[in-house]
Amino acid sequence: MPSPFSINGGACVAMVGKDCVAIACDLRLGLQALTVSNNFPKVFQYGDNVFLGLTGLATDVSTVSDLFRYKVNMYRLREERHIAPRTFANLVSSSLYERRFGPYFVSPVVAGLDPKTGAPFICGFDSIGCIDFAQDFIVSGTATDQLFGMCESLWEPGLGPDELFETISQALLNAVDRDALSGWGAHVYIIEKDKVTKRLLKGRQD
Amino acid sequence: MPEVLLGITGKDFTLIAASKAAMRGATILKAADDKTRQLNKHTLMAFSGEAGDTVQFAEYIQANAQLYSMRNETDLSPSALAHFVRGELASSLRSRKPYNVNLLLGGVDPITHQPSLYWLDYLASLAPVPYAAHGYAQYYCLSLLDKHHQPDITLERGMELLTLCADELKRRLPIDFKGLIVKAVTKDGIKEMPFDNDKVVKGT
Amino acid sequence: MPGFDFSNYNRNAALHARGVPLPKATSTGTTIVGCIFDGGVGIAADTRATSGPIVADKNCEKLHYISPNIWCAGAGTAADTEFTTALISSQLELHSLSTGRKPRVVTCMTMLKQHLFRYQGHIGAYLVVAGVDPTGTHLFTVHAHGSTDKLPYVTMGSGSLAAMSVFESQWQPSLNRDQAVKLCADAIEAGIWNDLGSGSNVDVAIITADKTTLRRNYIKPNERTAKLRSYVFPKGTTAVLNEKIIPKGDLGKFISVEELTEEGGDKMEVDT
Repeated sequence: MPSPFSINGGACVAMVGKDCVAIACDLRLGLQALTVSNNFPKVFQYGDNVFLGLTGLATDVSTVSDLFRYKVNMYRLREERHIAPRTFANLVSSSLYERRFGPYFVSPVVAGLDPKTGAPFICGFDSIGCIDFAQDFIVSGTATDQLFGMCESLWEPGLGPDELFETISQALLNAVDRDALSGWGAHVYIIEKDKVTKRLLKGRQD
Repeated sequence: MPEVLLGITGKDFTLIAASKAAMRGATILKAADDKTRQLNKHTLMAFSGEAGDTVQFAEYIQANAQLYSMRNETDLSPSALAHFVRGELASSLRSRKPYNVNLLLGGVDPITHQPSLYWLDYLASLAPVPYAAHGYAQYYCLSLLDKHHQPDITLERGMELLTLCADELKRRLPIDFKGLIVKAVTKDGIKEMPFDNDKVVKGT
Repeated sequence: MPGFDFSNYNRNAALHARGVPLPKATSTGTTIVGCIFDGGVGIAADTRATSGPIVADKNCEKLHYISPNIWCAGAGTAADTEFTTALISSQLELHSLSTGRKPRVVTCMTMLKQHLFRYQGHIGAYLVVAGVDPTGTHLFTVHAHGSTDKLPYVTMGSGSLAAMSVFESQWQPSLNRDQAVKLCADAIEAGIWNDLGSGSNVDVAIITADKTTLRRNYIKPNERTAKLRSYVFPKGTTAVLNEKIIPKGDLGKFISVEELTEEGGDKMEVDT
């Protein structure tokens, strides 16, 4: 039996741009080599500019995304305001570390803009909640190795929203084409101060 | 795994088909088994997996769905039920003895009349899909449905696709699954569809 | 006390028994050091975090705050070093508030070792604890199983051998502040160059009786050279099937309104 992180397959990537951030995921849900669905998004929205990408075991992707919807809703009711990306990242971290000795098999990625300063924020986590605060990009999923290579070569500082879209899309598309377990289309979110643009990408269907 | 579950959505319906054989090891105990349960007027659930777990879990879900309908004088939508079932299966997964059940949940939304189909496996992975299968049938039928399925097909065309799948299964599966029981979910409710299981399929 | 939730444990143990490997945690396959000097103590760390053979973070922080006068360098499982130090930091602050005294390094070290011993090494935190308190300057190491050492110079992590070779050849009983910082930084550099689990930059913290100085990225010997060519794609490179612009503060995101059809039940009776 393979690792629970590679039963269902999937890939996710987040990138920092100039006054914007991007987060993208593939759409495949599989059972090892068999593709069950090509419409299984792995990026979830938790506020005006807070996004969470989840790869790993599909059941835990659903459970964890639902759990954070509940936690963020409770936060909104208690605090009467939206959660900030950095606060949300700490919520994700402590929620995962709570299960240090029985973790969810997920690799989360958080992307968003600071609600006050508008500064880009991205970070990634391991399955037990260690935060990786990156200044450039975060990758996760079965195409991690390929994504690291793509991002390390394509990413550069100060990309505008349109440039960032092309960069993250090409990084993801070309990475998942070299991973048998990911692909089958992609969702890309470009998050700016006043709007979020969600695009469905044309990807290989093999 | 040799149990067959199939689901197809179309313009205004969802079709669910399940094999009629109840098996225990290499023995067929029953040739007219119904591996489906009606959850409410517009939602039907088909199940396969470990003997005992399947019916126990399905009827637990059925009872809760009906309890909800009685208490609230309104039915849960197929989507709501799918997420409820997923939650129950996900918490069972974390117990000492998890349910080993794979499910297909088909329905038609009572308000929008949108047909829907949900695929769930024993790990509580949930996916909304236009067509689905469980067990070995996945390997034979998903490719057929990928080629022939369109989102706006009629019920008649849906039945043709099921026949196509059944023929392939009869041709390829090494054991006799005793034909399919087919049920259609439409805005008017759930009804069993006549299905010719005696059709002889020639081998290639 | 942390309330760990073991509700996934049985599921994962059952999966593990069926041959499923355990998840790969980010580890700080690290070099961390500490060294006492006349009037204070310095600790230093590299900044590489790894996940198996992959460099997960090229510039992570391994120097953790405990209290203004006590700092910790962490090696081992990254999440464990992060949360264990945060937990003890919080308890120590409450303790110092209730006693009205400055926190002591031995107190911190004892709390860490008791916490780690209770978890029998399953919490994989390997720490260098350093600080100055009213009883003097202190430097300790704490291992994941709960054992501790008190030494004038210490190294830990996968690069500890490389770092220790620097201390063993250059350490002297009396050092001034600058000499100690240089020695610590050199020891970390030995780890960066000679240990594959360590890399990138050197972080240093210098603690004296009156203040603590954190020198984040004190030495950056591995700066990325600027790319000679830009790989920015022209607009329109990627094929898009569907595009949706969501303006901020859109109420529709949280509420969906569905029109009831005629046969969708009786009209509700309304008082007139």
